Amino acid sequence: MAVTEPRTSPESGPFQPDLDRQKSLWARIWEHRALYVAISPFYILFAVFGLFPIAFSLYLAFHKWDGIGVMTYNGLNNFKYMLTDAEFWQAVGNTFMIWIYSTIPMLFFALIIAFLLHAPFIKFRTLFRVGYFLPNVTSIVAVAIIFGALFANNYGFLNYLLQSVGLPVVEWLNAPWGIKIAISSMVVWRWTGYNAIIYLAGLQSIPQTLYEAAKIDGASAVQSFFRITIPMLRPVILFTVITSTIGGMQLFTEPQVLVGNDGGAGAAGMTIVLYLYRESFINNYFGYGAAVGWGMFLIIALFSIVNWKLVQGKSS
Amino acid sequence: MNRRRRTRWIAIIMVCVLLISGCSIWPGQDDSASSKKVTLTLWYWNRSIDDKLIARAKEKFPNIELTAQKIGGDFKAKLKTTLAARSGEPDIVALNDWIMELFPSEDRFYNLYDLGASEVEDQYLPWKWKQGVTPNGQMIGFPMDTGPTALFYRADLFKEAGLPSEPEQVTRQIDNWDAYAAAGEQIKEKFDGKVFLTDNIGSVYSQVLSQSTERYFRPDGSFIGMDSPAVRKSWDMAVAFKEKGLLANADGWTPTWNAAMNNGEIASFVGAVWMKQVLQEAAPDTSGKWRVARAPGGDGNNGGSFLSILKSSKHPKEAFELIRWLQSPENQLEQYQTLNLFPSAPGVFDTPAMKEEEPFFGGQATGPIFAESAQHVPEAFFGERYPSVHNIITRRLNDIAKQNADPQQVWSDTVHRVERELQR
Repeated sequence: MAVTEPRTSPESGPFQPDLDRQKSLWARIWEHRALYVAISPFYILFAVFGLFPIAFSLYLAFHKWDGIGVMTYNGLNNFKYMLTDAEFWQAVGNTFMIWIYSTIPMLFFALIIAFLLHAPFIKFRTLFRVGYFLPNVTSIVAVAIIFGALFANNYGFLNYLLQSVGLPVVEWLNAPWGIKIAISSMVVWRWTGYNAIIYLAGLQSIPQTLYEAAKIDGASAVQSFFRITIPMLRPVILFTVITSTIGGMQLFTEPQVLVGNDGGAGAAGMTIVLYLYRESFINNYFGYGAAVGWGMFLIIALFSIVNWKLVQGKSS
Repeated sequence: MNRRRRTRWIAIIMVCVLLISGCSIWPGQDDSASSKKVTLTLWYWNRSIDDKLIARAKEKFPNIELTAQKIGGDFKAKLKTTLAARSGEPDIVALNDWIMELFPSEDRFYNLYDLGASEVEDQYLPWKWKQGVTPNGQMIGFPMDTGPTALFYRADLFKEAGLPSEPEQVTRQIDNWDAYAAAGEQIKEKFDGKVFLTDNIGSVYSQVLSQSTERYFRPDGSFIGMDSPAVRKSWDMAVAFKEKGLLANADGWTPTWNAAMNNGEIASFVGAVWMKQVLQEAAPDTSGKWRVARAPGGDGNNGGSFLSILKSSKHPKEAFELIRWLQSPENQLEQYQTLNLFPSAPGVFDTPAMKEEEPFFGGQATGPIFAESAQHVPEAFFGERYPSVHNIITRRLNDIAKQNADPQQVWSDTVHRVERELQR
């Protein structure tokens, strides 16, 4: 049976002979070359600015290079140094803490904002949507400078407020938790609106009939929120959790502008990418920087899988 | 068939255009084909060379077609990327005080001694000149400006605290770091801890160290060790300043520093001559109250830049002539007047332009103080790993100052960290 079977698969049916399959890959490419040329700009740019740097960084991770001089083979030493470097692990810890401090309030507020924007009694909806989205298109550097002024130890706006109600001054940018809160609040400010807009799109795709049916059955607003809205939003929540995981693990500009290349007092604002940047571009250990990049890749991959499992959880 | 061939050609041309538009692989204009003018490209950053001087250089050297490019953003990163790419390199490039990081790549630069630099060597400060020479004796950087240090202090606050307030008296009586710390305690007491002697712990450490003849490495590249007297002394002094409560914990280049200066919370600091500009911009309200005296503990230097000629240049002779003219003592003096760049040619120190009275400093002529300091900066070897080791130490000191970390513990951590760094 297998011997006599034609090479066309049964799924394609008799009216789709799919003769292409009988030719080699290159012959098929040649036949459709005009199409391939048409899509080639993306692939060429991706190869030059995406694929090559990725491949090169893997090569670089096993070498010692100051950025200008000769590269020397360094075996696994870069990775060994990374795994035994207390500063690297501190950066990993900082990144996770900042991620937790920022993502939980951010997604929580985003959900509430989206729910309110979706409510029928809200007027000027577009205005609100634009307003919530605006922080996301603001320059991060400008935001970081403003937040630096808000959280400044001696003349900061927050300390001014604390003082004016008779509370003691907090040295935000000298305390490890203060630095983390300052950075997290920047992330929250910038991304809550973005996530709210995504949740709003998710909410709008939930059929109104479900709510109507629930209402007829006597469900309260809270019940329909937790029994209908949240489960129906699950894929959207999963999407925002994954994107904020990736974004949070790659946090760089906020701490760099707020507390500098060394992560501020006690290196409390040192994130993985800031560490990578400092080791490569300030201390000129480009090979080591590449190794840190791959370490970060593994961490993000692992963490994304864990998140995915957690959030998807029972629905699958 | 014809249509097919055309399609193929269009495709090939499109791919080529895409590739070429991204990178500059076109060779430069052939010199013999065009006029006899020599084309030179110069990279510098804002305020490192006066634009008017560059305009004059174009008149002065009619045979040179000078393209002066003011490189914004991260100058060092752009230079290093260009060097790594070995493409689009300028002929002449300005280097800042991180010049030693490029010493391992000395073969990418012309040895200026080969181009006749020794003819003018005696016109420049010897310690500055040597900073541009690699351990192998290759001169890759021609001296530009320097940053001799002195003590900036608030004469009014010093006077109120019962301290000497005239520059000569301050220079004489506060001539070492212990006397300076004692003055700080007097200020602290007088102003109930509302006025601090100086800005931050890193600045105390760096300034004590900059007055010594040793840093972290010997000229042969070997590490002197963390128990080198210079390092120990600087560390102990920095920690003592913190323990006596003399630091405002205001880091340089921050709004906090500016505000503390402008509000009169910092009574003094040891800083380079270019801090004059920084201070005047940060603390306009304190104009007339500042004075400058010689630094306690001796003279030192912070920063300063150099001009180099890259090996890729086809016209090193013309480039060197241009550099030599741009940084001639007369032109350095002019740069001092226009951009506050302090000359590295001591021959001009005695001119009236260097002795002008400055209203911000209460009519004091600060030039002679810095000129005296510049002539007594101790020669010291830095080595290409100076920045990374120095950065580790100042970073750790910050933990002591801002987080009350135990100095003993931080010291042993730092020693361990530096040792690890050197094994990389």
